[in-house]
Amino acid sequence: MLTRESGKQPDRIAGALAANRLGAPSVVFFVMSAAAPLTVVGGVVPSAIAGTGIIGLPIAFIAVGLVLALFSVGYVAMARHMANAGAFYTYISHGLGRPAGVAAAWLAMVAYNGLAVGAFFMLGVQASGLLESWIGLQIPWGVIALLAWLLVAVLGVLRVDVNGKLLAVLLTAEVAVILLFNLGDLLNPSAEGLTFAAASPSLLFSEGAAALIVIGTLGFVGFESAVVFSEESREPRRTVPLATYSSIAIIAVLYALSTWALSVATGPGNLVKFATDNSAETVFVLAGAQFGSVVVDIAKVLFITSLLAASISFHNTIARYLFALGRERILPAAFGRTSVRTGAPQAGSLAQSGVALLIILAVMFFQGDPIVAFFVGGATGGAGVLVLLFATAVAIVLFFLRDHRGEGVGHRLVAPVSAAIILGVMAYVGITSFDVILGLGPDHPMVTVVPIVYAGVVVLGVVWALVLRSTNPQVYAQIGLGAKAGTEAVR
Amino acid sequence: MLADELFLIAWDTTSSGKPRLHVQGVALGLAGALLAELVLHSRVAVQGATIRVADRRPVGETVADAVLADMAGSPQHTDVRTWLAYLAQRSITDVAGRMIAAGRLEREAPRLIKRKVSRYYAPDFGQAMWPRTRLNMALVRWQPLAAEDMALAVLVDSCGMTDVVVDDPAERKIARRYLTTVLAALPQPLADLGRHVSAAVGDAVLTYRS
Repeated sequence: MLTRESGKQPDRIAGALAANRLGAPSVVFFVMSAAAPLTVVGGVVPSAIAGTGIIGLPIAFIAVGLVLALFSVGYVAMARHMANAGAFYTYISHGLGRPAGVAAAWLAMVAYNGLAVGAFFMLGVQASGLLESWIGLQIPWGVIALLAWLLVAVLGVLRVDVNGKLLAVLLTAEVAVILLFNLGDLLNPSAEGLTFAAASPSLLFSEGAAALIVIGTLGFVGFESAVVFSEESREPRRTVPLATYSSIAIIAVLYALSTWALSVATGPGNLVKFATDNSAETVFVLAGAQFGSVVVDIAKVLFITSLLAASISFHNTIARYLFALGRERILPAAFGRTSVRTGAPQAGSLAQSGVALLIILAVMFFQGDPIVAFFVGGATGGAGVLVLLFATAVAIVLFFLRDHRGEGVGHRLVAPVSAAIILGVMAYVGITSFDVILGLGPDHPMVTVVPIVYAGVVVLGVVWALVLRSTNPQVYAQIGLGAKAGTEAVR
Repeated sequence: MLADELFLIAWDTTSSGKPRLHVQGVALGLAGALLAELVLHSRVAVQGATIRVADRRPVGETVADAVLADMAGSPQHTDVRTWLAYLAQRSITDVAGRMIAAGRLEREAPRLIKRKVSRYYAPDFGQAMWPRTRLNMALVRWQPLAAEDMALAVLVDSCGMTDVVVDDPAERKIARRYLTTVLAALPQPLADLGRHVSAAVGDAVLTYRS
């Protein structure tokens, strides 16, 4: 790839290419708009507190942020050597072997689908409530969820430019609203005062630790995508790490501050009851008391656009994942083709929309609680991503053990090994107490369904890879190369 | 010229004046075609992921010679993907420009509000349709292809336009089967070039940013 020549006359070709490339701020913006902060602060956080009774999210976000920063040391180092740098399964294929890679690809598809579909449920509830308060019209959440689904499905197939500037404006407004609400919370503390009880590190080792870990991880999903731009950034060796660490830091501080402010406003002792009573309205009820209904309405509209942006973002992630798998021929070649006119990865996009429709209809048919469905989707996604992070961390260690590729011992060994150990413990705690994470009691069907689905796709992935190895070694050799399948000697 | 023919396939120059293929794909496809022209003229050599100038003598055509001069002037860049990315930045303008100069294309009159993508129209309907019709007949009827048409076929396939050329869904299966044999028989430099165009178009899907 492109390298900068120093000391010679200016390189015209490199200069012309660099003019079109991304700097770190653009990459951070891209990552953050996919992370959809208001979706986490307004939706995930209150439903997690209500569902699982945890109050330690402020310290959880800081702790998970630190772990992910440690993880990213090896991650960005290995990204420089990956053809399809944006996808966890690429790293896992190269570090842990191709069967593990295919299993990871399927697992990622389930996890990202949980996140993409979950957003529709909260969106339906919120938009339904807002329309009722504005025009007195009672529209069931399911109808709105289906409309949002249709919008995402159509945008996905058409690859319509959801204008980058529009996303930037929405993101800025979201962050502004969150900071305003935080200020309001902190200026109006409960009787318990400005207490740091919810930020006590001891909470990380308490009963709800599993939920803290998974929800904490969920908040950061999206940070992994900065490396997608390795080949599109001005100075890959600087831009991508800077953007990755900055995104992690911004997310950690913003979410820790928001959840802490929430605990200050209600008082840590009253937080769980308050979140349970107010459910998805928690943040808005508090803000309503301080800023009035106009501000709250604006915030709710932003909450809805944030959920929509999150769903679009995960939809596109899934469609591209399936496209990469189609290019590698792990999936039928049709997945590797794009719509001629729009360049959208159409087959993958339609597949995701199909899955989403089935899940929405199922929840409607069984009259499931949409808020619970939102949280189950999020927690499922968070747990899946946690497992992927652990597998990737191990893959990074093994990859650099085989060949250090000029990376220093800190980047290829010390940080990755520490990250792998910590993520291993986190993943273990997360998986073994999935009922605690969902907070639905041990008898709820989802407590068994989700782990079975995950175990099922992992087994299928490994089997599929082994079948490919014996029947189609050429395809097997391409696993993990993404769109570059066919162009590179296998590394 | 090869790139002109690819342009006529990728662009609906006979009615709407708009591209048939997404603009990023057109730009990368035309960049590949400009390199393929030099390969066909034995001016550059492609092997695997690298491309080098083999013969600096001009071809006698402005755009092709400009590309050749750029490559000869920057021998430190030997990565096919670097050149594809570089040429894609202005391949549409350059190729359209030389077709306009030759009287084979017209750009719509400048408008008050500029369009993101200009519209292009071909003055001669038959000429504009010919590359697509010729390739279609060859693929559907399994006719042998000349070197230049093989290059055209691989570029069309690499930027995902096979279905544009074979527009009858009933014929696609048979055409694809023949295309696979054509691609297998391709001279190695063109095959490598085609794979890299395909990868560049694919990577553009994966790193698409709004």
